[in-house]
Amino acid sequence: MADRGGKGWSAGKGKAPSVPNQGALNGEDPASFKRPVHVDIDSSDESEGFIEDQSQASGKSNGKAPKKVPLDGLKTGGKASNLASAGKGDSGKGGKSFNAGKAEGKGSLPHAKPPTAEVDLKLELDIPKNSRVLMDCEAAEVLQDIHDHMTILSEDPTIKIPESFNKAFQYSKNGSQYTDAKSVRQVLETLKTCGVNDGEICMIGNVCPETVEEAYGLVPSLKANRQTNEGPIREALTTLVKLKSSK
Amino acid sequence: MFFHIVLERNMQLHPRHFGPHLRDKLVSKLMKDVEGTCSGRHGFVVAITGVEEIGKGLIREGTGFVTFPVKYQCVVFRPFKGEILEAVVTMVNKMGFFAEAGPVQIFVSNHLIPDDMEFQSGDMPNYTTSDGSVKIQKDSEVRLKIIGTRVDATEIFCIGTIKDDFLGVINDPGAAS
Repeated sequence: MADRGGKGWSAGKGKAPSVPNQGALNGEDPASFKRPVHVDIDSSDESEGFIEDQSQASGKSNGKAPKKVPLDGLKTGGKASNLASAGKGDSGKGGKSFNAGKAEGKGSLPHAKPPTAEVDLKLELDIPKNSRVLMDCEAAEVLQDIHDHMTILSEDPTIKIPESFNKAFQYSKNGSQYTDAKSVRQVLETLKTCGVNDGEICMIGNVCPETVEEAYGLVPSLKANRQTNEGPIREALTTLVKLKSSK
Repeated sequence: MFFHIVLERNMQLHPRHFGPHLRDKLVSKLMKDVEGTCSGRHGFVVAITGVEEIGKGLIREGTGFVTFPVKYQCVVFRPFKGEILEAVVTMVNKMGFFAEAGPVQIFVSNHLIPDDMEFQSGDMPNYTTSDGSVKIQKDSEVRLKIIGTRVDATEIFCIGTIKDDFLGVINDPGAAS
């Protein structure tokens, strides 16, 4: 439904400067009068939705417009008016409703944006379900295991070890600087209680920062809960140093 | 970073493989098909660690092939924006340098190299600080931060930066020798 609404309005916008479209705009005005009631509920998805709609919009007929959902119609409507109202004269009554829409629409945009800009590391979002993050040292253990099996399997000529396996294996071995991956996991797992997520734990484990400052510098998302997690992180780091293998 | 993940795939098997070793056949075909591939969503499939479940086969009409839904666990490697990686420099030029972290290629543009490092051409092109204390050349190890990724069907390409606190060269082969 959201798409439809968007299309209808953007179509209006695209054609607005041409005279024949006035009728269509007028026809929709009554609908847009009812909308402001719902405005405040809207928030996040509008900027994206709007952009997408623009690209697909042009061909759609205005006949679809009356079916729109009020919520979605309003915000795009508000925007459309930015352009549409520039030229055409049917805005006598339509203009007011459009202005109202515009004000609301613009007002809600800034609310949606800041969070996405602030979070430097939004790992959790991308991690698919039923998956578990492995630190380099854990991966090295798993891959070492497989590598040992491979040498047995490799008698079968049809199975050959892909290059990316060797590269990843080498990489994980270089990255694992600990004597025992399990105890590293145990130490870092304690950070979960103070809101450090899997991705951040994994990065701390991989990088093994020497100071708390280094940890905050490299994983800026930790700073958000600095009061609660600074102590535990410091403790964890001192324990990690003990687990480091001497290379 | 690495993940352990459960994935699903429909495997087609020719009827000639049917028999007591059907499962083995399926697994080895799965390994051949999947290991070393790269998908945009999951990254590089490094290795299969186990097969959870093989569903009931379905005969494809007309061909006689049978499709089995297979659930398997595997280790994947995927870079993320904001992640810190330790990578090995593979090529240096005046535009920046390329580095490799496991199967992933990373480019660090000269805009994302600290301003006090300058490009030096020659048979061993490198970036060096004015006092010569730090040098980035082929085979140097650098710690970098990923700021962008581009994923297509078969490879993942990253843009990285070393222009930030605690980033930069961690091991310089030139200095050691």
